[in-house]
Amino acid sequence: MTDATNADLPYSEPAGVKKGSLMTQDARTRKRNAAEKRFKAYGVIAISIGMLMLLVLVYNIISRGTGAFQQTFVTLDVELSAERLDKVGNRDINDLRKVSTFGYAPLLREAFEAKVAEHGIETDLSSKDMAGILSPSAPALLRNYVLSTPSVIGETIKFEFLASGRVDGYLKDRVTRDSIAEDKNISPAQLDFVDQLLEVGFVEKRFNMNFITGADSSDARPEAAGMGVSMLGSLFMMLVVLALALPIGVAASIYLEEFAPKNWITDIIEVNISNLAAVPSIVFGILGLAVFINYMHLPNSAPLVGGLVLTLMTLPTIIISTRASLKAVPPSIRDAALGVGASKMQSVFHHVLPLAAPGILTGTIIGLAQALGETAPLLLIGMVGFIASNPPDSIASGLLDPNSAMPAQIYEWAKRSDPAFYERAWGGIIILLGFLITMNTIAVILRRRFERRW
Amino acid sequence: MNDMRILERDVDAKAIKIAARNVQVFYGDNHAIKDVDVDIEDKTVTAFIGPSGCGKSTFLRCLNRMNDTIDVCRVEGDIAIDGEDIYDKRVDPVQLRAKVGMVFQKPNPFPKSIYDNVAYGPRIHGLAQNKAELDEIVEHSLRSAAIWDEVKDRLSAPGTGLSGGQQQRLCIARAVATQPEVLLMDEPCSALDPIATAQVEELIDDLRQNFSVVIVTHSMQQAARVSQKTAFFHLGNLVEYGETGTIFTNPVDPRTESYITGRIG
Amino acid sequence: MALGVTGYVILAVLALTVVAFIAAKARAKSAAGGDVRLLHSLPNYYGYNAAMFTAVPALGVLVIWLMAQPMLIENAIFDRLPDHLIEDGFSRNLMMSDVRRVAEGLDVAVSAGAMTEERADRIRTEFSDVRSILGSVGVALGSDVRPEVLSAAQQYRKSSAIGMGWMTGVVLILAALGAFVSVFVSGADFRARNVVERFVLSMLIVAASLAILTTVGIVLSMLFESLNFFRMHPWTDFFFGGQWAPNFRGNSDLSILPLLWGTLYISIVALMVAIPIGLFAAIYLSEYAGPKVRAFAKPLLEILAGIPTIVYGLFALLTVGPFLVSIFGRGEAGLLGVDWMSGATAVLTAGLVMGIMLIPFVSSLSDDIINAVPQAMRDGSLGLGSTKSETIRQVVLPAALPGIVGAVLLAASRAIGETMIVVLGAGAIAKFSLNPLEAMTTITTRIVSQLTGDTDFASPETLVAFALGLTLFVLTLGLNVLALYIVRRYREQYE
Repeated sequence: MTDATNADLPYSEPAGVKKGSLMTQDARTRKRNAAEKRFKAYGVIAISIGMLMLLVLVYNIISRGTGAFQQTFVTLDVELSAERLDKVGNRDINDLRKVSTFGYAPLLREAFEAKVAEHGIETDLSSKDMAGILSPSAPALLRNYVLSTPSVIGETIKFEFLASGRVDGYLKDRVTRDSIAEDKNISPAQLDFVDQLLEVGFVEKRFNMNFITGADSSDARPEAAGMGVSMLGSLFMMLVVLALALPIGVAASIYLEEFAPKNWITDIIEVNISNLAAVPSIVFGILGLAVFINYMHLPNSAPLVGGLVLTLMTLPTIIISTRASLKAVPPSIRDAALGVGASKMQSVFHHVLPLAAPGILTGTIIGLAQALGETAPLLLIGMVGFIASNPPDSIASGLLDPNSAMPAQIYEWAKRSDPAFYERAWGGIIILLGFLITMNTIAVILRRRFERRW
Repeated sequence: MNDMRILERDVDAKAIKIAARNVQVFYGDNHAIKDVDVDIEDKTVTAFIGPSGCGKSTFLRCLNRMNDTIDVCRVEGDIAIDGEDIYDKRVDPVQLRAKVGMVFQKPNPFPKSIYDNVAYGPRIHGLAQNKAELDEIVEHSLRSAAIWDEVKDRLSAPGTGLSGGQQQRLCIARAVATQPEVLLMDEPCSALDPIATAQVEELIDDLRQNFSVVIVTHSMQQAARVSQKTAFFHLGNLVEYGETGTIFTNPVDPRTESYITGRIG
Repeated sequence: MALGVTGYVILAVLALTVVAFIAAKARAKSAAGGDVRLLHSLPNYYGYNAAMFTAVPALGVLVIWLMAQPMLIENAIFDRLPDHLIEDGFSRNLMMSDVRRVAEGLDVAVSAGAMTEERADRIRTEFSDVRSILGSVGVALGSDVRPEVLSAAQQYRKSSAIGMGWMTGVVLILAALGAFVSVFVSGADFRARNVVERFVLSMLIVAASLAILTTVGIVLSMLFESLNFFRMHPWTDFFFGGQWAPNFRGNSDLSILPLLWGTLYISIVALMVAIPIGLFAAIYLSEYAGPKVRAFAKPLLEILAGIPTIVYGLFALLTVGPFLVSIFGRGEAGLLGVDWMSGATAVLTAGLVMGIMLIPFVSSLSDDIINAVPQAMRDGSLGLGSTKSETIRQVVLPAALPGIVGAVLLAASRAIGETMIVVLGAGAIAKFSLNPLEAMTTITTRIVSQLTGDTDFASPETLVAFALGLTLFVLTLGLNVLALYIVRRYREQYE
């Protein structure tokens, strides 16, 4: 170690060496500190961009979606004239059925004429154009009402009809007189007429329960479309996922964490599970199409199939979180149970599993929330592209009848050409996110409440 | 290397490098260092000894403001290097740490080559004008740390591949390369085997020629072997400070005596 | 009707199970003379054991039978169908689904009372209009029933009925046998708990192997259909052709290359957004931010990861796309006065939005990885007088590099496999172009478009989706395995 005693510096003191006072920053330090500030600023900018994006997204969803929860209604006094609806006059239901939906349209026209005359509204519109501000579903609604209670024929009854999508858009500032220049469905004169009705209070915008409970509707009637039936579709899918993924996931985790010998087979299973968690969701859709529909001939578009596909997709998530919570239970608990003569199986099922339950539940809820928002695999098993018009009437029909699901319904609306459906899509997102936020909040609360530090 | 060497040591008074007055350190509500006054001399090895948790490492970290990196830590009182208060608002801790280098308990070479480990300090402080100068600094630092002969043929090998003792000497070389005036060592041998410890201790004695060295140690033998001055800390207080020989042979405070003789620890 | 029989069989098995449980428990107790301490296991275990032996083999056979029977019958019937029908251009699948539908229709007609069982067996298309009879009970058929199809359907019903009868017998006998034997052996020395536990363990193993089964299912289902595809379409065109132009009259150009280009281009744009933002966010959160900022900003960023991709898709299509068009498009009316972008769907649209989605993915993974770098490393650097940013750039990041590369690879695999954002935001035009303002298409969008709507599983235009899916699977799997390997190695280094 002779070389270490060489005290003389072999080089002259470089210019940058700081022998000066600590109180003054030399040029180099100033430069370095500036670089430090810049670097920190990049971090702040990155975080801000992330926050800003979240803000823009949330603002977008709320500002564009809340409209879907409001709908424009037109109040009309309709005279259900007997001579049009019941020419025979015997109120026989079979005779009443013979009057088609078209037969009810004149009643609406007459009601508009009466209204215009009564309130002295000046308009050049024909009565047919006046009725054009209503949803095309109005006559059918009238007919269903009459057929359900034939005794009302002959009376004049106050009805609230959905306004057409264009009129609704006009009240929500989506449709303007400029934007409808080329539109065949509505004319500026009709909008003037809506203004006049608005003044006398026969057109109004109200909370729209139908959007939450109703079914999807055809392309021509955005105003009648609702999320209700697809919500049920999602519900049935989630039931399938819960009934399958939770027990299978927990069983698999218990085996891997508590019983599995450390060998290459277990290794393969573990690597497999972590890789499955990262397989694109659409691949699970292809699997579902090939196995459940083409091979096993399960019905197309059925929530059962959707649930099966989402189960396979959610399993890795549940297994990973369940194993983490099993791992968090200290070995001393297992030793204590084994020490009093319990079998390994008993120690796991009597002690470890109950202690890990909150963690398992949290993981399961998060897995379910993930499955609830998943769309891509549902497209492949046919849960889009049709109108599920009636809510299922039994559990079997809920599982097996074609249905949509919330995210698939949103996708369906996003693809349609009428911008009125976009509002529905954003509104649907609000509902979907509402469910997701609720589920995640429950998970967070569970975690906070039952979190145990050993 | 026996304990009697302390008697032969030269004990001339040296210039005071660091002066600490009335230093208090708080970790949140915990008062970790209480009223510490100490003068640390230039070109001297000063040892901080004391039982675990007595605050010696905490006080060491105050001397180059490494405590700044811990959020809950608060330092009061004056610590001056060459008469300049290092906790003054105008002082840039970065500049301070270039002047007051540090070697840590566990060897912590960067996951870079041996060369880059040593060249790291000179590069960030701009000490070399060109590659040749940098090479020179690296070589000199590695020689100062008594590791040059072992690594000169594999300067581009990763520093993490060295043995524990080599790693620690590499870390010392890394600290020396920034040409500090004071070198702080926080239990530099605690992770090393006896042979590596002996090498590092010998090195510390050599480093005294150029720097003021402050070493925190658990081992009283080590303090006796390498230091000229010793400070004994107990429960956050500086109990006794003086010539190493005096402290170990004729302590004033009964607590120091208890510690030295092994009754507290 | 089939469901009815199956239902009753299941109910009967379950009833037997309950009986076996009670009987075995009682027998064990009486064998011990009422003193349960003399038994090897708790009395309930004898019950579980008996229940298990009654239900599991019987229900297992039932399930296998239900799956195998239709296939066997279909194969048998298919062989008997006259060849000329197939030559007429009917595919096997279409044919069989016709047969199934008519058979089901006859079942419905019988149960609705529109037909007697006897008539359903004898009815002939020559003498009655089967289509209208079935139509009257709510079974709509696409075309008139051919005589061959009708007789095949009748054959189908007959075989089904016979099969069902056999199944009922076999299942019930199995259940009874299981019940009898297991109750019989329930003596004091019988190790009921060990048997039950061994059974539970085997169930756990079955559950764990489901993961493997899923992977095998994915690979096999796509592999078989892909092989079918390559039998109809030259593989050279798929892998090395330059055109994607599916044509449902046949003779399509189906090359993956333009789709792969679109996929990679969009993924690159997304990563160019996500990596710097995510990485800097992670650096800030782990190295600079105080606990309060961290507690606030980290969960907020992670919300971005919890938002379903359909929301991002809509955001791309309806917000970001039109916004970009208002900047780069519309000619004089646009913000830049240029006309470079014509529609809302474009590489940039999808890439930007996907980048936003990936920010939390990159940031939380990198955050974990940066936190795994030992503090000693930072102290060493700070102790030499380097600034925080110098420490991060020259010590922490190089040390964390392998882990960050792993995180980026995982993000890339996400981007490549992402579907909804590109379905709504990227467009449908397959081409090689460098212009990010043009619409392009990706592997995932083409899978969706080839497999939705009216699909014929005998045409290469549909089957190509499976080859695309397989390629996608292999691609993402490769990235994942590599990334997980790198990250695992990285963590071991600091543990």
